[in-house]
Amino acid sequence: MKHSPQLARLIDALRALPGVGPKTAQRMAFHLLQEGRAGARALADALNASLDTVGRCRRCRMLTEGELCQICLSPQRDASLLCVVESPADVVAVEQSGSFRGYYFVLMGHLSPLDGIGPDQLGVRELEAILAEGQVRELILATNPTVEGEATAHFLGELAIKRGIRASRIAHGVPVGGELEYVDGGTLAHAFSGRQSFG
Amino acid sequence: MTALPSRVQLAPGYILHSRPYRDTSRILEVLTRDAGRLTLFARGVRGPKAKLAAEMQPFRRLLLSWSGRGEAPQLTAAESAPDHVDLAPAYLMSGFYLNELLLKLTHRHDPVPAVFDLYHGTLEALKAGAPLEPTLRVFEKRLLDALGYGVALDADARTGASIDANAYYHFRPEQGVVAAAEDAPGALSGASLIALANETLSGGRALEDARRLLQAALAHCLEGRELNTRAVARAIARMEPSRARGTARGSRPPAMPGAGSEGVVRRITEGGASHNSGSRS
Repeated sequence: MKHSPQLARLIDALRALPGVGPKTAQRMAFHLLQEGRAGARALADALNASLDTVGRCRRCRMLTEGELCQICLSPQRDASLLCVVESPADVVAVEQSGSFRGYYFVLMGHLSPLDGIGPDQLGVRELEAILAEGQVRELILATNPTVEGEATAHFLGELAIKRGIRASRIAHGVPVGGELEYVDGGTLAHAFSGRQSFG
Repeated sequence: MTALPSRVQLAPGYILHSRPYRDTSRILEVLTRDAGRLTLFARGVRGPKAKLAAEMQPFRRLLLSWSGRGEAPQLTAAESAPDHVDLAPAYLMSGFYLNELLLKLTHRHDPVPAVFDLYHGTLEALKAGAPLEPTLRVFEKRLLDALGYGVALDADARTGASIDANAYYHFRPEQGVVAAAEDAPGALSGASLIALANETLSGGRALEDARRLLQAALAHCLEGRELNTRAVARAIARMEPSRARGTARGSRPPAMPGAGSEGVVRRITEGGASHNSGSRS
């Protein structure tokens, strides 16, 4: 069956969401236009408003509608620690773990030399400017444990060391509640090389 | 193009590059020994329930299984070699450079086992901590040989006379090396050519001459296509505060793209990185 032009347009637009194929998009559209009309209005308003106002934090590149994000504005955090992550979702993940009280820097990606993604695309100049202020004592490299993430961490680590700033890489190891038997060899190798002495 | 079998089991191969596809999949560009370079479609290798995420990394020797014909057969299994060693972080940029050369200079579905063996051997050497620059130069030289673009390094292309260690030469694409005056700009020493032919590169002059000759030969094969890894390496070099900046911004003759920053770029994509320590502690 062919949808009316406006409906087809809505279904097509919903496919911009991750994990949404034509079938799901159609279900969503029908729901929004039938029982979910109030929610649909709120969604449309929120989307419009967000698109108009939400940009990047001038300092850490996190998504925010102000000049600076909530974390960068907070005076309670430890300015000697700066944690570099690949994406805004990573900031949320680290924040939820409650284990870090410093500031962040979001690269919005990782070095991907074959695709031509280098330091200029990752905002490394802005990161350098923060390091140049002299408050950061340790740069924590929390990029993903992929080859590209590793290359990114190495490059940024060198940059920090040249400025006399300590650079550390987050540990990779066995997940909590996991079983050694099911952990892949590479992770296990990292877990062993990064083992800690007892007591 | 040869007809591909529809099902391949446990073929030795490496992932050269991959890009995310939809939410949980990847499109892989792989180099295998017996099926050459090909594109594989890998389902369910990203996201929270991802399997094979560890195997989906470049520079790992894998045993790949796939099925299906057409443009992108589906990956059905991937296993890492059990004694897997990671490439040291300081060597990763060089690894990306090798991958880009292979992506740009080899053809899909045209297996050249010698190229696979060369790549495998080079990665193994780098993983074992071989000196970067000579290793990369020998890779470039042998890659050109294996692809049929090898440079004849045994004789002057014009006169046929053997290369004289004390003479000087120019490299001309499609021709070979021809005699030149010692003070001619860009002249390569005969001793350097002999060292490159014998793969016994050591010392600054020999490495520098080999680098320039091979870069010109590769540029000819690349037919004007820029290497992204080289451009990124140049950008990284520009970030280095002290000496890099002087070289990069000093002289940049417009006739040779990127010539000004060549010295620093080389350290990353083409060797010379002396730091071997990872950023891990």
